[in-house]
Amino acid sequence: MQRRQFLAALTTLLQQNGYAEGPVLHHAPKAKRVITLFQHGGPSQLDLFDYKPNLAKVHGQDLPDSIRMGQRLTGMTAYQATFPAAPSIFKFAQHGQSGAWFSELLPHMAKHADQWTIMKSLSTEQINHDPAVTFFQTGFQLAGRPSIGSWVSYGLGSENKDLPAFIVMISQGRGNAQALADRMWGSGFIPTNHQGVKFRGGKDPVLYLSDPEGYSRTARRRFLDDLGQLNQLKLDEYKDPEIATRIAQYEMAFRMQASVPELADLSKEPESTFELYGPESRKPGTYAANCILARRLAERGVRFIQLFHRGWDQHGSLPKQIRWQCEDTDQPSAALLTDLKQRGLLDDTVVLWGGEFGRTVYSQGTLTQTDYGRDHHPRCFTMLAAGGGFKPGVSFGETDDYSYNIAKDPMDVHDLHATMMHCLGVDHTKLTFKFQGRHYRLTDVHGRVIRPLLA
Amino acid sequence: MKVLLSFFLPAIALAAEPKVEFNRDVRPILSDKCYHCHGPDAKAKGIPLRFDVEQDARAAITAGKLVARITTDKKGQQMPPPYSGLTLTAKEKQTLSMWAAQGAEWQAHWSFVPPKPPTGFASIDHFVSARLAKEGLSMRPLAGRETLARRATIDITGLPPTPREIDAFLKDTSPNAYEKLVDRLLASPRYGERMAARWLDAARYADTNGYQYDGERVMWRWRDYVIESFNHNKPFDQFVLEQLAGDMLPNATFEQRLATGFNRNHRGNTEDGIVPEEYAVEYVVDRVETSGAVFLGLTLGCARCHNHKYDPLTQKEFYQIYSYFNNVPELGRAMKYGNSPPLMPAPTTKQQATLAALDAKIAKQEQWLTARAPKIDAARRVWERQMPDVRWAPLSMRDGEYFTQGQPQTFEGSRVDLDEKSGKFDIDDIWSVSAWVDGKGAVLTRMSGNKQEGKGYGLHVKEGKVFFHITSNWVNDALRLETVKPFAPGRAHHVSVTYTGSRMAEGVRVYVDGQLAETKTLLDTLYRPFRNAGGVYKEPVRVGGGAGKANQFQGTLGEIRLYSRVLTDEEVAMLAVGKPLSAMAGEKRTHAEQRQVELHYLETAAAPDVRQAWQTLASLREEREKLERTFPTVMVMAESPQRKETHLLLRGQYDKPGEVVEPGLPAFLPQRPASNRLGFAKWVVDPQNPLLARVTMNRFWQSFFGNGIVKTTEDFGLQGEWPTHPELLDYLATEFIHSGWDAKAMQKMIVMSAAYRQSSQATPELIQRDPDNRLLSRGPRIRLPAEMIRDTALHAAGLLHESVGGPSVKPYQPDGLWKEVIMQDFDYNQSKGPDLYRRSLYTFWKRTSAPPMMMNFDASQREACTVRENRTNTPLQALNLMNDVTFVEAARFIGQRMLLEAGADADSRLRHGFRIALGRLPKPAELIVLRGSLNYHLDYFAGKPAEAKSLLWQGDTRSADLPDRELAAYQAVASLLLNTDEFVTKE
Repeated sequence: MQRRQFLAALTTLLQQNGYAEGPVLHHAPKAKRVITLFQHGGPSQLDLFDYKPNLAKVHGQDLPDSIRMGQRLTGMTAYQATFPAAPSIFKFAQHGQSGAWFSELLPHMAKHADQWTIMKSLSTEQINHDPAVTFFQTGFQLAGRPSIGSWVSYGLGSENKDLPAFIVMISQGRGNAQALADRMWGSGFIPTNHQGVKFRGGKDPVLYLSDPEGYSRTARRRFLDDLGQLNQLKLDEYKDPEIATRIAQYEMAFRMQASVPELADLSKEPESTFELYGPESRKPGTYAANCILARRLAERGVRFIQLFHRGWDQHGSLPKQIRWQCEDTDQPSAALLTDLKQRGLLDDTVVLWGGEFGRTVYSQGTLTQTDYGRDHHPRCFTMLAAGGGFKPGVSFGETDDYSYNIAKDPMDVHDLHATMMHCLGVDHTKLTFKFQGRHYRLTDVHGRVIRPLLA
Repeated sequence: MKVLLSFFLPAIALAAEPKVEFNRDVRPILSDKCYHCHGPDAKAKGIPLRFDVEQDARAAITAGKLVARITTDKKGQQMPPPYSGLTLTAKEKQTLSMWAAQGAEWQAHWSFVPPKPPTGFASIDHFVSARLAKEGLSMRPLAGRETLARRATIDITGLPPTPREIDAFLKDTSPNAYEKLVDRLLASPRYGERMAARWLDAARYADTNGYQYDGERVMWRWRDYVIESFNHNKPFDQFVLEQLAGDMLPNATFEQRLATGFNRNHRGNTEDGIVPEEYAVEYVVDRVETSGAVFLGLTLGCARCHNHKYDPLTQKEFYQIYSYFNNVPELGRAMKYGNSPPLMPAPTTKQQATLAALDAKIAKQEQWLTARAPKIDAARRVWERQMPDVRWAPLSMRDGEYFTQGQPQTFEGSRVDLDEKSGKFDIDDIWSVSAWVDGKGAVLTRMSGNKQEGKGYGLHVKEGKVFFHITSNWVNDALRLETVKPFAPGRAHHVSVTYTGSRMAEGVRVYVDGQLAETKTLLDTLYRPFRNAGGVYKEPVRVGGGAGKANQFQGTLGEIRLYSRVLTDEEVAMLAVGKPLSAMAGEKRTHAEQRQVELHYLETAAAPDVRQAWQTLASLREEREKLERTFPTVMVMAESPQRKETHLLLRGQYDKPGEVVEPGLPAFLPQRPASNRLGFAKWVVDPQNPLLARVTMNRFWQSFFGNGIVKTTEDFGLQGEWPTHPELLDYLATEFIHSGWDAKAMQKMIVMSAAYRQSSQATPELIQRDPDNRLLSRGPRIRLPAEMIRDTALHAAGLLHESVGGPSVKPYQPDGLWKEVIMQDFDYNQSKGPDLYRRSLYTFWKRTSAPPMMMNFDASQREACTVRENRTNTPLQALNLMNDVTFVEAARFIGQRMLLEAGADADSRLRHGFRIALGRLPKPAELIVLRGSLNYHLDYFAGKPAEAKSLLWQGDTRSADLPDRELAAYQAVASLLLNTDEFVTKE
């Protein structure tokens, strides 16, 4: 194709894609991209970060009314006769200069104590998985609104012409898994080209990426040249800019066919990478392998990278299952920070670690000295952030002695979104999309930038 | 960039016509920039001035305040205030100033007053041409006949024309050839399928419940109702009326009740631990929002939490409308798998015919026996003198019987496992069990893990009461009940339980000694079949135990009987008789005993012809019962006998009830009495209602031209876009009503118009002046909706399997997509044979993992109502068309058609393929490209037989016996055609 035509096509392409108005920067950004390590199911803050030494004294005692204050429980424990306090059986220690608390389950992440921003006072409005994940992903509990990644894609566009701006990867944990839904990374009412593209383990990291068996890259190139000619003849006759866009999109598809497998191919990673990320990282589709991919995507300028790791829904046998989950995620999560840092990418990449809500201090089901379960707990939970303008080595917010209510510096999911957007140079109140007569935004009518979290 | 371009039209309008028109030019600015504070909800914010009220606004304008405040730079004075984040553009300020200068003429919002019929001569083309003339433009010449044939065929039937159909049209030189084509297309059953596709988007139709668990539901009978209704050209007002309130019409027909599935298509949350009341509210809100968008073009949902910010709808009015939809006896927590009540059996037309035939046969048998009743009775009385020593029990659909001979069995801590074929009942099966019981503990159980709190079902005697449960999760996924009165002690009692498979306590009946017993429901939240409740379920029925040590039976048990149907009251009473027939001779008999005698006689001892007739009747009845089991059900609307009280919900929250509200219509629209949902439905379809006809015609228009006359098809309120052709829309709306809501007639009118038949070729000038073709300066040129792209490819390949209606099917889908996101229970079991090639509106729609090809091409997610068509242009679409096995296989069959149906030379084959795919013959330049491609691929595959083979072996259907190299090369060329812009476009 002639260069002039290609540029025209590209311009149309950008217009067609309905970017807000090109990249919308409301102020100088600290971060260019985001990696969300979403721990799906609701990891227990009580067993990982929110150390409550006094709980040992009240083991098995009913949760006092002064703490519970009649708050809503899920239908799974609402009819439970007692709410026995279940202290974590795991040992906690302080780490780094900052003295941040981590449980023994996360030895690798603990080594980055001075890198993480630990937010202990998050709360969400939703108590069940689907609405809570939907709420975290879109700022609203019911399906239908755009997800965070698609907002970022819509607002900031892509920095890589060969890859989508928003990429999602899913890995299966070993604990009790909850369902995900494609719409959780969907684009809601903004154009569908902003939806998250799922990268999968195996032959086709992107759906329909590979040419049919028996068809070579050379043949595909020739095919696209012929196709380009046919489409160009049509464009000359009809002058419809959509045709120019389609020509450009086929070229991008062709480039993706090369760039995606190259990206997904970890065989050229040095041995040291796999050592860093742990043995699981050699298996495609694992959380560890996805963490390596996340770094590779970050290197290539993908705007929003989201990992979902399933299996954190520990209603019963929590000690056993959370061990599995931590074994699978601890080292790779830590490795990602190390890796990004070594490559100078951490400064302009926000890394988030956490799930849709926390878990209850009281045991769901029978409490013994070594075993307990925990129900969903939206009143408080912990998330971690690093890089991209977040202040390292900070522990923000406090919960009460039962890790049940927030005692200091409350923040909610909207605040986290607002703060993350701020790091990207976006004022969350100004990035809007008009739908059904209303100017919608990710944070609905809520959200504050939490300044103490920022470097 | 659609946002920017929308400014283009008013700009032209201003240049051409300096007169500012309030509705078109001013109200959109006031609404977008001022109403958030100075709008219908101003009072709640303590703001006295409202710009949506004429008096207020005019006072402010005539006093010169408006212009002063919007033009000042002073921070404290400036409007909109800087903190609002809203600003007026220079053009907007100019418009408002001009409007004030011209006398600030006010108009009621255009869509809230009834449409005005045209005063003089009117036609679509008249309005379109007049609008174009204002811009100094005119319509393009008519499109070529091949183009037109493809355009109309795709638009009306959703499928392209075949070469033969095109030939017939080209050969028809009569002046009304095009009209004949249109009439033929409108009469095709494909028309209903095409129309249904968009209606399913609007009605958020899907085959699963959505939310976390996303289990399967069965709504396809409703989908088929939609197809049939469009095909029969049911008057559109009736179509709407019955979907909103068909169940409440006097003597509602089967079809009218089926229609109400429309408002049960919303998602249902089944997640463990939700608060059911919260989701019960969401379902009602969804009905209000969907009905508002589809029938009224209003964003009613905006008034859920507060007064509408833009439209004159109060929060109270929202809940008044809500109350129409709030009287359904439904569950807040939906069934995990299958339909949630209220539901109805919905036999297909074919099943209804089979049923009627069976009923006729049954009636015939019954008549035969009735006619001979005196003779039979007389013969029986003779036989009664020497009746056998047997205990009679019903034979029909017997699932198992145990301990029926001899004495009852004694149980003291032991248990007996029954044959594993007996009692394999799940929560959605229909069954009955009965036994003679003397003692306490587990009578009969089928439990996982041999414990009461596992999953399964159990019949127990506890403290002298009958206790019965069906459990998938002891804590919250179970139904449990017990009888109220304890047994009289010291003797055996006969206990029966019947269960309708309803998954609710109301479907269970417990009988003691043949009498229906009063029961107390202990838990009534059963949702999930055992087979889905995690893993395989393989336990036998156990008698006397199976529910843990503590529950082992102590005492005697006898005559264990299991049936895979619901026993009648009479049958249960007969089972409870408890003595052999021989003991009934001569004695005065109870009714139950008398029936036993009669039935046993008919079954075993009557004259051969009578016995034969009786057996035939019995098997026909059984056949009928089994047939009924195969009927799909459908979720429908129903009214609770007692009206549920509706409260305004503060901030829209389920647990914050405010004042009680009564049903009522929004005050800003024409009124009529409407005390219930039927009244509401009648109001929606009332010709005085200004919205339904406009909103519907606008959606029809959108489906032909790509955009509505009002682009915001979902919003005709104050924030909606001003119609590009307001008089045209009113003309279409009034004609629609006048025609008796004749959808086909109106669609015919559209496709017969010159505006529709124009060539879609643009010029650079037109692209600049009318970029989105909103003025219709040329014919529509639009990318096809997702389902048409696939259907068109299958049709061109000759693979499409056309068959209207039926259960949803599972065509090709990449492996593992469901597994990645869902919980343990479901697999995507790909269909086989013809079901791989059905039209896409029959594709199984799983909400949390929708068909990927559909999603790549902008199909609605089916989570919530979608009425606006959306079209993107992405690389994922390119990959999809090049590499998805659906299209790879379709290309192979188009290649095969080129080889088999055209001449022997390459050019005629290429021409044929081009025509199959694109509906016209290639131009010389195009043919050159195709030839080049063919030759390249012939060369390419010449040296690569293995590659050719693997390309040809993709997909389930095998090709004719053709040389691999040729077929592979023609397949490649066919794929090229399927990937052209023209293939995915209606031109």
